Amino acid sequence: MEQLTIVGKPVTRVDAGEKVTGETVYGYDLVLPNMLYGKVLFSPKPHARIKRINIEKAEQYPGVVAVITGKDAPWIHGESIKDKPFLAQDKVRCVGEPVAAVAAVDEDTAQAAVRLIEVEYEDLPAYFSPEEACKPGAVAIHENFAGYRKFDFIVPGSMPNVCEHFKLRTGDVEQGFREADLVLEERYSVPVIQHAAMEPHSAHAQVDPESGRITIWVANDAPFRALHEISEALELPKEKIRFINPAQGGGFGSKGGLKVEPIAVALAYHTNGRPVRVKFNREETFISTLTRHEAVVNIKSGVKKDGTLVARQMTIYWGAGAYAEKSPTVCIRGSLPAPGPYRIPHVKVDGYAVYTNKPVAGSFRGYGIPQGAWACEQHMDELANRLGIDRLEFRMRNIFVDGDLSYWGEKLHSVGLKETLTKAAEAIEWGQKDEQFKGSRVEGLKGTNIKRGKGFACISKPTRSPTTSAAGVVVNGKGEVKVLAGTVEIGQGCSTILSQVAAEELKVPLEKVRMAPLDTDVIPFDASTTSSRSTYHMGNAVRRAAIDVREKIMEMARPMLEAKKEDLSFSDGKVYLKDQPQMALSIGEVVRRKLGNEGDVRGDGSYTYEIGKDLDLETGHSDHASAFYMYATQAAEVAVDEETGRVRILRMSAAHDVGKAINPLNCAAQIEGGLAMGIGSALHEEMVIDNQGKVRNPSFLDYHIVTSLDVPKMIPIVVECPEPEGPYGAKGLGEPGLAPTPAAIGNAVADAIGIRIYDLPLNPERVYWVIQQKKKKKVA
Amino acid sequence: MKKKIKITLNGKSMSLEIPAHRLLLDLLRDEIGLTGTKEGCGTGDCGACTVLLNGRPVNSCLILSGELDGADIVTIEGLKIGPEFHPVQKAFIQDGGAQCGYCTPGMLMMSKALLDENLNPTEEEIRFALSGNLCRCTGYAKIIQAVQDAARELRAGRANRG
Repeated sequence: MEQLTIVGKPVTRVDAGEKVTGETVYGYDLVLPNMLYGKVLFSPKPHARIKRINIEKAEQYPGVVAVITGKDAPWIHGESIKDKPFLAQDKVRCVGEPVAAVAAVDEDTAQAAVRLIEVEYEDLPAYFSPEEACKPGAVAIHENFAGYRKFDFIVPGSMPNVCEHFKLRTGDVEQGFREADLVLEERYSVPVIQHAAMEPHSAHAQVDPESGRITIWVANDAPFRALHEISEALELPKEKIRFINPAQGGGFGSKGGLKVEPIAVALAYHTNGRPVRVKFNREETFISTLTRHEAVVNIKSGVKKDGTLVARQMTIYWGAGAYAEKSPTVCIRGSLPAPGPYRIPHVKVDGYAVYTNKPVAGSFRGYGIPQGAWACEQHMDELANRLGIDRLEFRMRNIFVDGDLSYWGEKLHSVGLKETLTKAAEAIEWGQKDEQFKGSRVEGLKGTNIKRGKGFACISKPTRSPTTSAAGVVVNGKGEVKVLAGTVEIGQGCSTILSQVAAEELKVPLEKVRMAPLDTDVIPFDASTTSSRSTYHMGNAVRRAAIDVREKIMEMARPMLEAKKEDLSFSDGKVYLKDQPQMALSIGEVVRRKLGNEGDVRGDGSYTYEIGKDLDLETGHSDHASAFYMYATQAAEVAVDEETGRVRILRMSAAHDVGKAINPLNCAAQIEGGLAMGIGSALHEEMVIDNQGKVRNPSFLDYHIVTSLDVPKMIPIVVECPEPEGPYGAKGLGEPGLAPTPAAIGNAVADAIGIRIYDLPLNPERVYWVIQQKKKKKVA
Repeated sequence: MKKKIKITLNGKSMSLEIPAHRLLLDLLRDEIGLTGTKEGCGTGDCGACTVLLNGRPVNSCLILSGELDGADIVTIEGLKIGPEFHPVQKAFIQDGGAQCGYCTPGMLMMSKALLDENLNPTEEEIRFALSGNLCRCTGYAKIIQAVQDAARELRAGRANRG
């Protein structure tokens, strides 16, 4: 294989220069000529019928251009189930659901008019947990569920409010439990949390009154999917809709789908061609965008004395919130690998996505993996402890290796799990419990109240499959390279990775490459910037497009060098004669000679991962469920203050199998960022929703994301177990950084205090009371 | 109520007539058109809107424009030294201190404020100084590294100037 010149190098980000000067224009910064300002009236009720809306006073308020309600926007959208109105229709299903909207000459005016809208509600019974909402006799949150348009693979449950029931059936779990020497059953739970990207949500929309064409400016991480969803909802041809992506200030799954977009579009139909900007402030972003699924995970396992796993049964209730959004696929792709990356002959999983009257849950970095891992990986430690086997050794006996047939029926390859386990454990000196770790920021924690412990957790994660990415690569007469790719730079570094790929194939310096801005009118199709799929899918597409343009340029060079095709070669950004390497033309020169200074040549490439059989709806089996799998192990050392319940992380390692690190610096950055987010979700993040469905902590003061004081010493470790189909062997990395984190910390805490904690977060209050209860039991 | 104020913004003096209740953040972004200063929360919790006011770091979303007569304000747009990146900008580029970049302007202004006062901060001092500036992407490790590297370069620069 030809030596790589720039792939694999820790080059700095191509977008860093404009980001450190404040030049980057984000969705929240965007100002359009002649634009109006939109504000929204949100539901104060968790579940209620709308009896009457009076917008008269709002309409008469000076400076108001339009006031709209559900009647003015009679459209329904939804990715897998069309269940969500642009603005509430007849009823509301959660606090924070948009009910009416105003467009006005400025934001203050719009907000003042919103306050003048009067709504009369009639309360309906509301449900705030998935288990409660699917009990027999529960009132339907979506009365017309059967009538909704849905994806073919949706399997509604027989219980109330279940919008998807995922089933995995392998072997016979009952027989497995009979064969086992030890059977253990536990129940774990994970609360609602939020992405909390630093840029709040916003969207700008404009409808051309003559052509009916809609333009939407929004930091959406899946513009082509959003376009499709708008097109289906409005029954408008796709050619009439255009998405333009300004820069995006983080996403983590929150900025796909449609949230502010429908409101902006609905308003734009009433402003006679003037663009409308709708910005959610932080509180509105908390209550009316997306959350991560709360989950209740019941897990039961049978294991032999020698540590061989025999059977595992899991029942998982995913809290979908008021609308389905991505719940069906989170339920499927989160439930499928929930039993963990282990060889288990008998497996039964039932995953239920259940509507509740809470804010809508959607995609969140990790897509269901963290919830399953929180249960499975702590459960694995409990099993090991009861068997008296070292926890690492217990994993090693059961863990997936190359060639294993997974319990969902797929033969696995490129499995770097063992190496991640070994390296992550080594990095925190596994097995050396009593050594005081000297590199800690909080070293010197001593005293009888301080208990120290270690733990780890491992995961495998599939990616959304099958999907397609397409790309263009353009070379101009100056030898400059432009990459057209629909992958959205959400901070993950894709613009750098994709530039490296193009630079590698054309052998030009990275400075010669730039990314074209993202506009669905001109950029080739891409499925989405989600599911850690971009490096693999778009990386392959850009690579193919770069090779395509290179071939075209070589063909153009043939007459210039008076050579046959087979006599030409390419290296160092130049086409040359094999036997006379001094006869060389740079790619820019070739283009210039043929097409002049202003000319350019474009290559195209696309990549689709074809899966084998679709998931079988009865067994959950597939011979190719995912284009690739991501494997990771994280290990933590903690100190727990038994007097206060405070958990401090002394150090944490994170070993991730990335296939091939196209940019090791960026890999470390992704791992550290994911780890920090995982630490937040482990120790303090929770959206507190009261028994009226109201979010009690919709601010950064009360919803505590990690600060610079909270993060411990982090040890990112890159493991490279190449994926043959991936570009240069690459897999994906965006999501797994936070997936095993809470379980690793939970295991370390249990190791420290000798008590298992089943619910997140591990905040001082919870840990303190768990310790107190144990003390009470001892006394009794 | 409109109020006339004179301020120095990124080294240039300007006279403005603005509603006295206009927040400094909105004044910068909406009236003057400098959108480098970011809004992350609007309630003083995230630090994305940090600017230097008379040399001190402030959350510009908590400052009323009416109070600004005579003030000296530096925003991210004023951080470069001529055409050159400030050492702290250079270090953020080099070390990967910016990912989505939305917290970056505030983070840089806070870092500059720290380094203006203390050219030799410990890791704990850096963490403490930046603890009001939230970042959801990086996990802070590369940001802290960048501030340490910038401090080193600034110290070297000072030593060279003798």
